[in-house]
Amino acid sequence: MHLFLLGASHHSAPVELRERIDFARRGTPEALAEIVEVAGVSEAVVLSTCNRAEIYAHSEVLEPVGEALAGFMSAFHDVPEPELAPHLYRRQGADAARHLFRVVAGLDSLVVGEPQILGQVKDAFAVASERGFTGAALNRLFHTSFTVGKRVRNETGLGEGAVSVSYAAISLARKIFGELEGRRALVVGAGEMAELTATHLRSQNVGRIGVANRSAGRAATLAAKVDGVAVPWGEITTELTTTDIVLTATGAPRWLLTRSQVAEAMQPRRDRPLFMIDIGLPRDVEPSASDVEQVFLYNIDDLQSIVRENLARRQTQVDRAELMVREEVDGFMRWLRSRGAVPTVVALRRHFERTRQQELERLKPKLASLPASARARVDEVTRLLVEKLLSSPTEQLKAAPDEEAVAADADTLGRLFGLGEHADAARRRAPRHRESAGTAERASAVRNR
Amino acid sequence: MNAPPLALYLVAGVAYAVHFGTRSASSGRIATVSLVFGVLVHTFVIGMQTMQVGHVPLVGTTGAISAFVWFLGLAYLYTEMTTDERAMGIFIVPLMIFLQLIPAISNSVATRPPVLESRWFEIHVFSLLVAYATFALACVISVTYVLLFKELKAKHPGVFYARLPSLQVLDTMNGRAVTFGWVFLTLGLAVGAIWLIQVQPGAADPRVQAMSLLDPKIFIVLLCWVVYTFSLYARRSFGWGGRRAAWLSTVGFAILMLNFVPIGYFGTSSHNFY
Repeated sequence: MHLFLLGASHHSAPVELRERIDFARRGTPEALAEIVEVAGVSEAVVLSTCNRAEIYAHSEVLEPVGEALAGFMSAFHDVPEPELAPHLYRRQGADAARHLFRVVAGLDSLVVGEPQILGQVKDAFAVASERGFTGAALNRLFHTSFTVGKRVRNETGLGEGAVSVSYAAISLARKIFGELEGRRALVVGAGEMAELTATHLRSQNVGRIGVANRSAGRAATLAAKVDGVAVPWGEITTELTTTDIVLTATGAPRWLLTRSQVAEAMQPRRDRPLFMIDIGLPRDVEPSASDVEQVFLYNIDDLQSIVRENLARRQTQVDRAELMVREEVDGFMRWLRSRGAVPTVVALRRHFERTRQQELERLKPKLASLPASARARVDEVTRLLVEKLLSSPTEQLKAAPDEEAVAADADTLGRLFGLGEHADAARRRAPRHRESAGTAERASAVRNR
Repeated sequence: MNAPPLALYLVAGVAYAVHFGTRSASSGRIATVSLVFGVLVHTFVIGMQTMQVGHVPLVGTTGAISAFVWFLGLAYLYTEMTTDERAMGIFIVPLMIFLQLIPAISNSVATRPPVLESRWFEIHVFSLLVAYATFALACVISVTYVLLFKELKAKHPGVFYARLPSLQVLDTMNGRAVTFGWVFLTLGLAVGAIWLIQVQPGAADPRVQAMSLLDPKIFIVLLCWVVYTFSLYARRSFGWGGRRAAWLSTVGFAILMLNFVPIGYFGTSSHNFY
């Protein structure tokens, strides 16, 4: 019952290396098929996103697995081991579980609390479990991690507030207009930020995105990219009267839109709000335009300060999230240890049951004279006796504090009751869904129970 | 008799405040559940009083206030449940608590003078109370609109940004509430006038004789009608929405409350049916 994690993330590896070890290139299912052939591995999940490549594995044996997984990683991605090794981290047991829970909670993300990771982990788990690469241990581990993810998102503010400038702009727009569907937007200028925000707007189903640029060609290019319409440079002020969201990002040295121009454009709009996002440097919109009724003007500094505040607020929630992770890790590890004791419990019960059956067999001639109901009673009484005798030892075995204690208990009981061969027999009898010559012997009764 | 619902409204008020501060799901549930219970118990109280005096206790300002609080609770719960927004509870419930204090303290049910024994009178009071409750909601929606508007203008999203729906939604809700309230206000006033025309010639009651445009209560409620009518007209004809509509809605309701409570008790010689 050992949990392993081997991986690299944005914390440990540069993007050049992360690109080379991206499992998506050769396919996660192919990787999983090879991982479970690695000596000792009985279950595996591969998590591959643009920020991390991680292998979660479960094994019955401890020693060679970590090394073997590192060897696999290097061979599978065709990256020499000496080059890869310094960027890999390895975790075992509770540390591996904690790592996964922190990842799912968004605590390990580049932007703390980002929401996509939960879905990505769910997908990664689905790929592995649908193909039978997971068993009881990893199923439990991942389902617990989803609970952690949900708890952290619902009970802390870790995922709240926009933490990128373009997303902050979208959130503000939604706070003004509600749903953005069918709204009209105007993008003035081009450049990366303009394009990014325009793309975000498009994904919000904004009705029409007008694009204006001093160069009509560039306007047409960006318009084509975001499924918008090119607007002639001279018609910006006219366009303002019908637009809900304006994004300006030009390098113009003077005001592109003065206060009086904005005020004039607001006349026919009456009390319909106008949201202006000025990310040009120097600024494109005269700041006092903000005083016009129903004009909401945000420049790049305003947006950045919102982002900074949101990030700071998320940071205050980290401790609460870490506490939740700790609680769930403890719970999971208790469960995992109790699973470690299961073969011993099974062997012990089998031993007692067999002894009971043998004694009943031996007494059969003497019991023959009794009526059937009395014989049934004897059977019942002996069964209850065995149950009662074993109930406390079973509980104690499952509550063992660590793996050493589990092993010591198994040893002692094996010696006292001569369980060794029965325990092995119990293991052999357990079915295994992925038979492979080398690993069948290690299959435990535990995994499939 | 009006104390038990008051106690439940107090619990709800505290829970709404906690919910506003912490945004925890459990405090939100406690708030809604205690408010629902408060309204239920209040319904029972009004029912008991109806049995006691043989008519719905709408006669006199005290009874009307109790009924108004009850309507307001219902109207708010309806809004909360249809929009899934709890943030306004912190504004509505304190108003309910404050007003419910009056019937909880005075506790008497006014007996109905014979002149008020008319279907018209019941429709008159009922319509106006529905209108008042709707205007109260519109006022709270408007206040939250202005608060959110200020945060957005100041480029410093904070408390209200995180808790309120969008400006657009608030503006639409305000517009709808004012329209709905205006219909009932108009109906209530029209029915009152019809009733007055019917009974005034033969009535000896000095209060009925005092019913004219010069009576403060009647004069001021007509002023309210003008404010709300203007608000609707301005929205339609010159696009007055947003902050202007919010201010009109707030002013309208402030005058209405002034008329309902202080003038209802001390300033009118025509509507003093204690």
